[in-house]
Amino acid sequence: MSDNTVTLIIDGHQVTVPKGTLIVDAAKQIENEIPVFCYHTKMDPVGMCRMCLVEVGTPAINRETRQPELDEAGKPVIRFFPKPMTACTTPVSEGMVVKVDSESALEKRKGILEFLLTSHPLDCPVCDKGGECPLQDLTIRHGPGNSRFDYEDKQRFPKRYPLGDLIVLDMERCIICTRCVRFQEEIAHDPALAVENRGRRAHIVSYTDPVFDSHYSGNTADVCPVGALTTRDFRFGARSWELTNAPSVCNHCGVGCNTVLSTRTGQIKRIMPRQNEAVNEVWICDKGRFGHHFNGSPNRLTTPLVRKDGELVEASWAEALDLVGQKFAAIKEAGGANALGGIAGARLSNEDLYLFQKLFRDVIGAHNIDHRVGLSATLEDETAYTVGVGCGTDLSRTGKGAAILVIGSDLDQEAPVLYLRVAGAAAKRGARLINAGGRQTKLDAQAQTSLRYRYGTATHLALGLLASVVEQKLVDEAGIEARATGFAELKKALQNYATAKVADVTGVDAEEINAAAKAFAEADNGIIIFGLEAGNDSALRAALEALALVTGHAGEADNGLIAVLPHANSRGAADMGVVPDRLPGYAPVDGEAGLSAQEMLAGESGLKGMLIAGVDPAAESEAYQAALEGLDFLVVQELFLTETAKLADVVLPVKGAAERDGTFTNLERRVQAFDIGVPAPGLAWADWLVLVAIAGRLGAEWLYASADGVMAEITQQVPLYAGMEFENLTAPVSLERKTSHYIYEGMSFTADAREGVQWPTLAENNAEGGPKLPLRFIEPAPVAGDEDGFTLVGSRFLYDGGRLLAESQVVESRIRQPQILLSKLDAQRLGVANGDEVTVSQNGVSVALPVKINRMVAEGTAVAPRNVAGRPVEKLVGPGGVYATVKVEKT
Amino acid sequence: MTHENGIDLALMDEVFQKYSQQKGALIPILQNAQDIYGFLPQEALQLIADKMGVSIGKVYGVATFYAQFYLEKRGRHILKLCDGTACHVKGTPLLVTALGDGYHIQPGETTEDGDLTIEIVYCLGSCALAPVTILDDQVMGRMRPEMMVRKVQKHIKDAQKAAGA
Repeated sequence: MSDNTVTLIIDGHQVTVPKGTLIVDAAKQIENEIPVFCYHTKMDPVGMCRMCLVEVGTPAINRETRQPELDEAGKPVIRFFPKPMTACTTPVSEGMVVKVDSESALEKRKGILEFLLTSHPLDCPVCDKGGECPLQDLTIRHGPGNSRFDYEDKQRFPKRYPLGDLIVLDMERCIICTRCVRFQEEIAHDPALAVENRGRRAHIVSYTDPVFDSHYSGNTADVCPVGALTTRDFRFGARSWELTNAPSVCNHCGVGCNTVLSTRTGQIKRIMPRQNEAVNEVWICDKGRFGHHFNGSPNRLTTPLVRKDGELVEASWAEALDLVGQKFAAIKEAGGANALGGIAGARLSNEDLYLFQKLFRDVIGAHNIDHRVGLSATLEDETAYTVGVGCGTDLSRTGKGAAILVIGSDLDQEAPVLYLRVAGAAAKRGARLINAGGRQTKLDAQAQTSLRYRYGTATHLALGLLASVVEQKLVDEAGIEARATGFAELKKALQNYATAKVADVTGVDAEEINAAAKAFAEADNGIIIFGLEAGNDSALRAALEALALVTGHAGEADNGLIAVLPHANSRGAADMGVVPDRLPGYAPVDGEAGLSAQEMLAGESGLKGMLIAGVDPAAESEAYQAALEGLDFLVVQELFLTETAKLADVVLPVKGAAERDGTFTNLERRVQAFDIGVPAPGLAWADWLVLVAIAGRLGAEWLYASADGVMAEITQQVPLYAGMEFENLTAPVSLERKTSHYIYEGMSFTADAREGVQWPTLAENNAEGGPKLPLRFIEPAPVAGDEDGFTLVGSRFLYDGGRLLAESQVVESRIRQPQILLSKLDAQRLGVANGDEVTVSQNGVSVALPVKINRMVAEGTAVAPRNVAGRPVEKLVGPGGVYATVKVEKT
Repeated sequence: MTHENGIDLALMDEVFQKYSQQKGALIPILQNAQDIYGFLPQEALQLIADKMGVSIGKVYGVATFYAQFYLEKRGRHILKLCDGTACHVKGTPLLVTALGDGYHIQPGETTEDGDLTIEIVYCLGSCALAPVTILDDQVMGRMRPEMMVRKVQKHIKDAQKAAGA
């Protein structure tokens, strides 16, 4: 017996578990599962439902001798507690004896179920939970056959009570386990729900305005062990046993949450989380859960369109592809390969993106490709290649001894499930969280340290932290020696970033900078997360890379950098070389780089023809639209007739992620495969297949028959992706790794759990003798002087004006409309109230926006959502910019 | 800062001062608030949530859990009638009927003039005095209907006089 384990006996089986384990978890090692309703392995135990009652005995101790009492056979005497204990709140102890299936324990659980069922309606035939309901299952195993309860005394509550727009409450079905209330408090940190009254009148309420205001509300329906909370999306949608479940990966942001597409007769009926402890644990956000209706939208493109006499008319694939082949060949013939260019969205899969760049580089012979338009223009990241978080990083375990430094990201909006994990690491597991940002965000409530810098000085702050680490002699000498070069030069450059000076520039207190630098450097593990609001700045990324290397937080699991990239495959787009200056796998191109997206869309680019896939630059600005109109020939691969598609000469309909297979690479460089869930409408093809066909029309002989086959070539051509064969990516995780979060924790349990594969960074390679990394220093852009006016910040919000979301009716009411968030005091000063219009102007550009007063916004700051109808804030801060100093006046 | 419906939230300042150092003081703060306003107005609950840094849901949860807290305005005088087994047998239903006749209110209700609220409680632990009632802080045992109505009338009148003087 080691010091950290405890051995006990459960129903005659000897079980050895770590100290502090609860009886309910210890019992999972044997066949006898202890039934629970309120217990959830991700939440603190409360012992409310009493379903887990077991008999517990401990070795008797003689009061005089203080020695264990022994019976005649020399075995310890076990004294059972007179009352049953709740297995979910009782930790194990040495020599404990637990009876789960004794007659007395069964009798007690039967009694509890009889109580839970006194007012529970027998509406299982119309209940969404039917067939996957713990209450049903446990009633079969433990329930009494009849009830002694008086029907007249049944508790009545309103049925179909809307808890906000997305969740419906049937209070009569509720058994007050409070999993939903606790999920919102402990995990989502949106205490939107509460229990009102007590005893039989207890019920669930929401006091927030708007009702049940949270990005995570759908998870409460998952964890609900009965049918009390149902989603508007799945309500009466299907019986659970009729569903076909396909493992998938969410296509809405860079986190890459694992999901299950539950389908019936070719339609997605619901989306639920699929367990992956390394990515999303057992959660997904409401955007991922409810934002799938675009798949079945009547506005989907179902057939190729070709422009004839100025009008887009339906055409066959052969006709459309022939035209694309002829025109592209003619343009190349007349103007050379560089008269052609392409932009691919970061929503495309790795297979699509790989073939996209291969089409341009190998078949056409141009490097004019890019993915950085729209939100992708706001944040780039090449540091993942050097010091990205180590393979095996698992934020669900990050806790005591670790430090997380967040710079310029409103995680709750940009990457909700990453927010859950970072907040949980700090609030639940004791990690040190330093949240640096230009404004207050939800994460500040969980952060021990909030560093509030002036917009535009994030790089100075990062360099200040780095200089402070050096000044305080907290550098990891051995780590630098092993992994990096150029420390002496870096030290010299940092002399200009003394704490006092940085404090002056950034507005952050000098002592706080020193304390934060110390906390981060001294932590056992350190992760740096940076997002859009820090600015798309290579100087910042160089500083953060150096900070990770100098503090020794690089090249190992649970250490390194994470960029909060905007789209599902933003990482993959960079990995696959869909940029004008790098090949797949981050090798620089031979010779001259091609045109970037900004250059291609600037007009006068010299381009005659373009291929645009899965991205809508025409919706972004009139200038882009004019540039596209100026082309001789435009081909668009799209789901919908977007603004860009309307300008095209050929529009090719493609499949959504749910309709095909492929892989996405998430922001932790985890490559994850998704399966086909539903058939595509009409004649849509997968993007990679369209590219194969175009290449064929241009004379190439590509023999790919499946996404799987494309990936097989990627594994050969891109060393980073060696080992990413579909066979590996779709291998189910071992039973041991599956741990415990199954049906009773509110999981869809029928689809495979997979973990994906991460590719290793240079910092990890150089631990094994790879090349050392140069410590880079890039002079930050000069900080603008104080100007009069508001600091307008263009922020990312979860429910923005993206096309996929716009087509998903369920979340319609939550989609951000153009608006400007102001503090109450500033609104009073301007003489405006909620809904009044103000004119926001800068350098002759002005836009009118309705006001919304927000208590998180500081005086002198104004926040406006990006990527919403008309792109008003982008007009002021620029397509890739973050902030601007503006004038705000009452209209 | 008097709120539009006559709730003076400034009265809470002293309460918050008293409990500012104490963790988990939600219940005593609610009790103090109720002493001030006679019930727990919504504005006060929101203020308590903000000051204590807990969610409004949690505050409501506690306020609705305990029978001692009231979320609606009550009468200036509270008459509690015990309807435990002993008092019930000794005639509490008759007392309720008498009050219904005299004041036109049922248990849980308040008279229109805001003078009196009556409540049913279950066992005050004074079964020897059954039927027992409590008028504000005054225990009245072995009650009979006419006597009780007289005592209540006098109590209200005395209080009005005292307030007038």
